[in-house]
Amino acid sequence: MRRSSFYLLLIGLIFALPFVPALIASFGGVWRFPTIIPDGINLRAWESVFSPSSRTLSAIFLSLWIAFCVTVINLMVGIPAAYALTRKKLRFQSGIEAVLLAPIFVPALAAVMGIHLTFLRLGLTETVIGVILVHLAPSMPYVIRAAMISFQTMNEEAEDAAKMLGATKSQRFYHVILPHLIPGLTAGVVLSMLISLSQYSVTLLIGAGQVITLPILFVPFLNGGDPAIGSAYTLVFSAVALALVLLLDGGLRSYYATRKGGCHEWI
Amino acid sequence: MKKKWMLASSMLLLVLGACSNEQAAPVADFSQQWSELTEAAQGTTVNLYMWGGSDSINSYFDEWVTPRLEEQYDISLNRVPVNDTQEILTQLLDEKTAGKETGSIDIMWINGENFRNAKDNDLLNQPFADKLPNVADLVDQQAPQIAEDFGIPVDNLQAPWGTAQFVMTYNSEDVTDVPTSFEQLAQWVQDNPGQFTYPALPDFTGGAFVRHALEEIVGTEQFTSDEPLERDEFDKMMQPVWEYLNAIEPYLWRAGDTYPESLARLDQLYTNGEVAYTMAYDPIKAAAEVQNGRFPDSTRTFIFDGGTLSNTHYLAIPFNAENPLGAAVVINELLSVEAQAAKLDPANWGDLPVLDFSKLSDEQQQVFTAIDLGEASLSIEELESKRIAEIPSIYVEWIEEGWLENVAQN
Repeated sequence: MRRSSFYLLLIGLIFALPFVPALIASFGGVWRFPTIIPDGINLRAWESVFSPSSRTLSAIFLSLWIAFCVTVINLMVGIPAAYALTRKKLRFQSGIEAVLLAPIFVPALAAVMGIHLTFLRLGLTETVIGVILVHLAPSMPYVIRAAMISFQTMNEEAEDAAKMLGATKSQRFYHVILPHLIPGLTAGVVLSMLISLSQYSVTLLIGAGQVITLPILFVPFLNGGDPAIGSAYTLVFSAVALALVLLLDGGLRSYYATRKGGCHEWI
Repeated sequence: MKKKWMLASSMLLLVLGACSNEQAAPVADFSQQWSELTEAAQGTTVNLYMWGGSDSINSYFDEWVTPRLEEQYDISLNRVPVNDTQEILTQLLDEKTAGKETGSIDIMWINGENFRNAKDNDLLNQPFADKLPNVADLVDQQAPQIAEDFGIPVDNLQAPWGTAQFVMTYNSEDVTDVPTSFEQLAQWVQDNPGQFTYPALPDFTGGAFVRHALEEIVGTEQFTSDEPLERDEFDKMMQPVWEYLNAIEPYLWRAGDTYPESLARLDQLYTNGEVAYTMAYDPIKAAAEVQNGRFPDSTRTFIFDGGTLSNTHYLAIPFNAENPLGAAVVINELLSVEAQAAKLDPANWGDLPVLDFSKLSDEQQQVFTAIDLGEASLSIEELESKRIAEIPSIYVEWIEEGWLENVAQN
């Protein structure tokens, strides 16, 4: 027990360590050798990040909203796709799978360069819907993959047994399939949210500067030689991402807590 | 079931497609009476796309320019932060290809290579700059560094907005004998190994440093003449510059094994005290960095005896701007004495004005001379007296390629 908490602490430290220089830099501190305490601490960067004209808060909400919509669509498309790919005998099975998972290997920007022209003709540029649609490409493969693995590890007989006992199609989905999918899907959901949150180039191209997400605001600072503001934004971004992961993790735990002894036990 | 979905989704696409059949933007008439033009622009929104990586530039707009435009012209300015201007040119190029006639960009901040690309691809609106009262009255439009942008005739397709000039930045505690020529610099570097370096090309400021070496070692008369050079001629002329840079390489930071990959990285090295020099294509940046505590108080700047390169940055209106008249009003206001003076103030931004001082009244000049540029900055007079124009941007590219081949890979 003691040993494991030591390792937990160690892992925690390794995780937190990279944020220390960012935290110092965000307070404008200059850490010159050999001083121990950085000098020139000030709140300039944080004031600028949260000043009303910086639009940081609205960008956070818009980023989260886009990530949420992207994830909902991913689930709606990804679960049936994964079901079909694992349970049905499809023609061109591996071909379809390859196409669905291809965005993992093709850089999103390369694909979006072509999509941009089409979206321009359809009037989808400069809109949130357009941005949501392009975020699907890089994130959907992870949701499909997560759902596929869950389906593969699930005993098909459990579904048949429920069927024999008279469960309808939707009852089977909610009480037999979904409980088994949840842990894997949570991983897919987290990835999908995080991937959407961190998109820069494709958001800029399709949003054309009219859809201001968090990366649109902070990427210019990272390359612009203002490390204080870049660091402050990095921390804000990490905090949003971390809060999201913790929230989903907490949700998963409470789901299991209320379902203790539920039907997933015998699967 | 499947068919229904197909039908529904194709219907959706049709509806979305129908929405996008926008009306063509009206052709902007910049030659109408200025008072009528400002009236027409009242109550409109102007989208300004510009690099968003500097807190001071951003707040100059958010806290000074935007409220003023609102108050004086009833125009609301929407500043869109951009990481790299090339990205918005890609956007415009695609919009042109797709036939999108009302775009989201009303004003963009460009110069140099980006201007050349925009001009070559017809991404700009009709000529407008000379129609702006403040350009006509306060700017010397014939000055070579204003009429030509890195060797490309501006043709009023963009309005001059600010001036950049290269300066060397140094820590006066480490450097007592300031090397104001490349000959002296080579000597200094040999005497103080590891204290100097420059950003690896294609970093823009690193490239400017190399162009100064070219200026002093070879001279730039041949580069600015009307006869464009062939590539192999050019490469031959660059040889002495590569020799110089290779000769000082062993005495650079980390013995020249590696170069800082960007100016931001070099600034970081300077901030940490690892090197004694940095550089900037912005003569007041050093003072601003001292003020915000990043650079040490002993930071000073100097320019080379032969002068330093200077270029103008401009504001342009894209071909499909939705509000070109509003854009013209905003650009004109950005060229007013008040706006240019506020822009010069290091407390706001610290960007050199583009106005011709001989066209200003004594009172107007006073507004500029009263501004404290900070101890690290040189005076505007000194900077102005030692300005040299940039060479054509095609050579800038060739120098970047040549450096990688002849210096980095050596």
